[in-house]
Amino acid sequence: MATTTATVSITSADLMPGMPLAINASSQLMQTGTTTGLELMDMGAGKLTEASAADALHEALGTADTANWVYICNTSTNDEQYIKVGIHDTIIGNLGAGEWLWMPWNMGTADNEINIEAETSGSVTYEYAIFKSTYTLPAKT
Amino acid sequence: MATLTPTLTLVSTDLSDDELNFSVTDSLTVTAPHIATARTSVTTTGANNIIQPATDGQTYYVYVKHTGLDAGGSAVSTTLGIELTGDVVIGKLAAGEFMFMPVGGHSLGVQLQSSGGTIVAEYAYFTKG
Repeated sequence: MATTTATVSITSADLMPGMPLAINASSQLMQTGTTTGLELMDMGAGKLTEASAADALHEALGTADTANWVYICNTSTNDEQYIKVGIHDTIIGNLGAGEWLWMPWNMGTADNEINIEAETSGSVTYEYAIFKSTYTLPAKT
Repeated sequence: MATLTPTLTLVSTDLSDDELNFSVTDSLTVTAPHIATARTSVTTTGANNIIQPATDGQTYYVYVKHTGLDAGGSAVSTTLGIELTGDVVIGKLAAGEFMFMPVGGHSLGVQLQSSGGTIVAEYAYFTKG
């Protein structure tokens, strides 16, 4: 059983005068409703172009309510380049240059893929990691 | 304007033969409005638990944590749904889990919904400057 720990720290010295912000949270990545850790991980990096429109970062898992986690970072250093992130037809938000997200992904239906789309010209670089409960290899063609 | 520094660390010694020890950080410029931080008792009706106002061209950075407790302080194992307003499900958090992500590109807010009973959620949001 794998033990993977995710930790977040969100700090600010000047958000509130005289009161520094320090949010800290940590959790282990577990399979749904169990104490068994997630054992499947995809990691990678790539480039997006505006011309390629929305691309599936990962196809839908099609398994209801499983625990999966997604990390995506827009590694571009160009402030004009951002990445639109969605689950199928639902736009979640835009990742600006250098920004990252950490979110659960446990959509059960077969068409809820994670997709990303560059919203400016040129190549927008990104990196990602997906931690999964289960995965069925696609059938051969 | 203020500076927000979010850092994510992912660590595992046994997920693969190679140790996972990964960290990413960023420096975000944020402005009002913001909430940092608050707790709310989430019920099973998402529309009654809106934690971030509808976007109007801006981006919000949103943090949510499932505290693992109900409104009475007892431990719960129910899941905390993360939704865009209008009951558009994004994902679910189990007890102790958290998320941090930008929300924008549409005109929706963020709401929370318990799968049963109440769940105390900790949350914060910051407006991108």
